[in-house]
Amino acid sequence: MAEENWIEVGSTDSIEEEDLIRFDHQDKTFCVYRLTDGFYATDGICTHEAVHLEDGLVMDDEIECPMHQGIFNIKSGEALSPPACEDLKTYPVKVDNDKIFIKID
Amino acid sequence: MQNNIIILGGGQAAIYAAREIRKNDTESNIKILGEESLLPYERPPLSKDFLLDKKNEEDLFFYSSDVLINENIDFDNVSINKVDFENKKLFTKNESVYSYDILLISTGSENKKLSLDDNLNNDVYYLRNLKEAKIIKEIVSNKNQITIIGGGFIGLEIASSLSQLQKKVTVIEIGNQLMGRIIPKQIADLVQNTHIENGNEIILNKQIDKIIKKNDIYEILLNDNSLIETDFVIAGIGSTPSVKLFENTNLKLDNGIVTNQFCETSIKDVYAAGDVSNFYHPLYEKNMRLESYQHAQNHGICAGKNISGVKTEYTSIPWMWSDQFNLNLQLTGICDDYDEIIERGNDINNGVIYFFLKNKKIRGACGLGIVGKVGRDIRITSKLIEKNTIVDKQILSDQNQKLNKLILKL
Repeated sequence: MAEENWIEVGSTDSIEEEDLIRFDHQDKTFCVYRLTDGFYATDGICTHEAVHLEDGLVMDDEIECPMHQGIFNIKSGEALSPPACEDLKTYPVKVDNDKIFIKID
Repeated sequence: MQNNIIILGGGQAAIYAAREIRKNDTESNIKILGEESLLPYERPPLSKDFLLDKKNEEDLFFYSSDVLINENIDFDNVSINKVDFENKKLFTKNESVYSYDILLISTGSENKKLSLDDNLNNDVYYLRNLKEAKIIKEIVSNKNQITIIGGGFIGLEIASSLSQLQKKVTVIEIGNQLMGRIIPKQIADLVQNTHIENGNEIILNKQIDKIIKKNDIYEILLNDNSLIETDFVIAGIGSTPSVKLFENTNLKLDNGIVTNQFCETSIKDVYAAGDVSNFYHPLYEKNMRLESYQHAQNHGICAGKNISGVKTEYTSIPWMWSDQFNLNLQLTGICDDYDEIIERGNDINNGVIYFFLKNKKIRGACGLGIVGKVGRDIRITSKLIEKNTIVDKQILSDQNQKLNKLILKL
């Protein structure tokens, strides 16, 4: 895999536990989450309507859209509760020297 | 045990109930009887993204016909005009009979109509279903000056959409505020300002005395003798539960079909869910009837569980939203029974929320903000209401403090 696909998001202490940050890269928006067992990343826009998930609520392994309460599993991207029915894309994450990287295809 | 389960009504509560029953019961026959020929579809976009051409008909369906086929859920497009609860039978107009062992009624609600002269009944349009939305969408494309009678959710959402289509919109509301049935005045006033800033005219405290048709123009005479000229009239003045079919039966009715917290009606093996049900809410210790997306879904699921033997109390905290212009309004709980109000934020760009407390516990909250700015806090508030706990008012009122703190303390 080409090394340049890993994009640095920021330091690990930039995200509180059970929370997320928005990360914009080129013309795309991502959400990067810190859960109890590590860091995860998904697309940053809800699949139901174009709203940023950065203002959503993270509970356990789930992100809930702030607009209409569609719920997604953060680790798998699965749409768990309507009105969301299309899954959210997820991205690999790694931590290196306290820095978070996500792999964008 | 194999039962014949019939779901009367083909909307959101019906499809969620059907799928929930199938999850727990692979044996029974499940049949939905819908008056519209379409499979259950989402109604919220009809007044917004559908009018704005951002969503098409095919985007609206909850599930495709494949899902129903795979789960062995039947859907018949019929209109029932007689019910015999004693013999557990439903009859269509031409006397076709459907027999059931268990019946779920999810007939929803219907629009209240203005009392008008007979010759005007076809000149005022209402929006509840896809057919009506299509008609309105087509007609407004050739109209410029549009009047909406009723300043509730549906009227204001249409007003917002039509304004975005560059129409000149006037909203006439009989009450002294917009959305007065459930939305606190503080929030309603902020919504009103946004409509006015976007060019819509909002008229409060006025009744329609008469509508006069003059060629292609309507003159709307108000009770203060003022006159509004308009090309097209849409009314959204509230709705009533669809219970006509049951009026001369033993089914207990009172502002809808009276149900307990298990979706059970006064008649054995007959359940009701969604808009049509006036259900008992254990947390609020009273009956209530709700007309919302979340309620139709969750109440349908709860009925499905109870029908399939999974005894489940309905404890969902009411939640609803409205999208107008770039604003998202959300309400959780109930906001009309309180002894204290706490305000969080004062700028809709960052979100404004009013919390309604009774005995130091939150009973309801209503928030308004640019899309995305109030959802998280409203969701946390729903959880706080559900826990029925005394909250730290200082955190509620300080937008710099995250509401998560209150949940972590539980």
